[in-house]
Amino acid sequence: MNASETVATADRLDRRRGRLVPLLIALLVFAALPALLAGFDRGYFYQIANLALIFVLLSASMHLVTGVAGLLHLGHAAFYGVGAYTAALLTSKLGLGFTVTLPLSGLVAALVAFLVALPTMRLVSIYFAVATLAIGQMLYLVMLNWVDFTKGPNGIIVTRGFELFGVSLSGRLATYYTVAAVVTLSVVAISRLSHSYYGNALRSIREDDQCADAMGVRTVRLKMEAFTLSAFFAGVAGSLWAHMTGYISPGDFKFSESILILAMVVVGGLGSLPGAIIGALLLILLPEGLRGLGDFRNIMVGLVMFLSILLLPKGLLGEVSALRLMRRQLGAAWRSTGKDQGTGEGIGWR
Amino acid sequence: MTHLLEIRNVSRRFGGVQAVGDVTAHVDEGELVGLIGPNGAGKTTLFNLISGFTPLSGGTVAFAGRTISGLKPNQVARLGISRTFQNLRVFPNMSVFDNVSVGAVGALPQGPLGALFGSLHKGGRARSSEISRRTWEALEAVGLTHAAAELAANLPYGQRKYLEIARALAMRPHFLILDEPAAGLNDTETRDLAAFIKRLHGQGLTVMLVEHDMTLVMGICQRILVLASGRKIADGTPDAIRSDAAVLEAYLGVDE
Repeated sequence: MNASETVATADRLDRRRGRLVPLLIALLVFAALPALLAGFDRGYFYQIANLALIFVLLSASMHLVTGVAGLLHLGHAAFYGVGAYTAALLTSKLGLGFTVTLPLSGLVAALVAFLVALPTMRLVSIYFAVATLAIGQMLYLVMLNWVDFTKGPNGIIVTRGFELFGVSLSGRLATYYTVAAVVTLSVVAISRLSHSYYGNALRSIREDDQCADAMGVRTVRLKMEAFTLSAFFAGVAGSLWAHMTGYISPGDFKFSESILILAMVVVGGLGSLPGAIIGALLLILLPEGLRGLGDFRNIMVGLVMFLSILLLPKGLLGEVSALRLMRRQLGAAWRSTGKDQGTGEGIGWR
Repeated sequence: MTHLLEIRNVSRRFGGVQAVGDVTAHVDEGELVGLIGPNGAGKTTLFNLISGFTPLSGGTVAFAGRTISGLKPNQVARLGISRTFQNLRVFPNMSVFDNVSVGAVGALPQGPLGALFGSLHKGGRARSSEISRRTWEALEAVGLTHAAAELAANLPYGQRKYLEIARALAMRPHFLILDEPAAGLNDTETRDLAAFIKRLHGQGLTVMLVEHDMTLVMGICQRILVLASGRKIADGTPDAIRSDAAVLEAYLGVDE
């Protein structure tokens, strides 16, 4: 078989495999689940379904930057917050509706990410992780303390629900469908980014960024893009959250939320988009399902995370072992001190 | 006539150590050049200076008439210089196909918009299929098409060596730099590799290799550069190098 025939066969196989599963998922999300929700007709179930979907998007967007590009990001929830605050402020101060706030939330979050990434992107390994932690904390403190603008700890009431060009979509089922549609479209976009040659270039940075550099991959630029794109989708998720709950406060976007999203990606498996989605569903639905256990449920959730890291080093479906990635990143911090035998290169940046 | 690669008075210090000192050398279009020297002679450092991994302390490097010293490794790579590494660096958690595709996408960058909407317009589709074609051709050149879906980490050592070369070839380089390609291979594998490198050279690729295996270097290279303690001590045909007094001295020590 020559090269072009091999290409054709591989393409055909890919296409056949690639149709059935998305169709089944679309049926589940847009037909079976809403039918079930309408059948139970309890607001609580709608809330859970919407929350799970929003976290699916947060987890999927983190998959892009941490799972695919291998950047340990500890401040993701802050960009989710930037998106939510953008939507809330545009609505309460300028009276804009969801049709406008949705794209703007993504763009503002991406812009903030781009600006903070400019000085951070040359940091390597654990130093980058610490920088993202600091960025997340800074953004959180701005939301908390800039009382004149963000109303600080009191939070903001978002007066308008979902709408499309003025048509209200604020009923329970309409709200669910809006969240589901936006999340599905975003996840499809993330899937296209991560399962492409572009995605392979990002993966090569995760695997060995110096070697990727030697293959012509513009590593700094691609890291910036992955970071900015993931913030865009986190911002979109923030807009969904703001219009869905009708009330946001800084507490929704604190460090522990970043860690929760990171845990979803790790439990599902670094580098796997289906893994990130399953991880999000697991860590949102499990605590809800375990409500009967009272205070013990958080111990159970912790146990699931602990065991999954211990027994499934690559998560449920991952490409890379989370422990090994983190160990390598920690190790790189030590290695870079001795790198190039005193060439005057700084510690921890490239 | 200008040379394809021109190294002029290149030097590199690491603290107090002169790793490469005042080396001037060149490689012409279509040559197959070997770079040898005792351990610590600065061979890999010289490769790193050419490919942009290590900044120069002095001198210049020019490729195809253009100064490349000071460029980033990915810029040097996109000008057509592709390299492999001494200590085998494949991307372990990626498939063989994906590994090689990185070389192709490095040379033909696809951005996020290309990944999202590329399949909707002709230019984007053409780029994707060109990347895919280059990847398959490189896999075919090294005989790894059957293992395309395999995880790189699961390949035996010898095949990972070829995978690294395939990834470099997928960039469609003008100039290929191989850093100790035969390290860790047995005699049969080394002979196969020698034949493979000769075949690549026969197809018009300019190749430079660092190698410790003298039979390989003497057998296939047209010209050999010898480094010792960071300086060039000889430059000539394999026969001339074999009888060069300075080379014998560097390798065997001074005859008292």
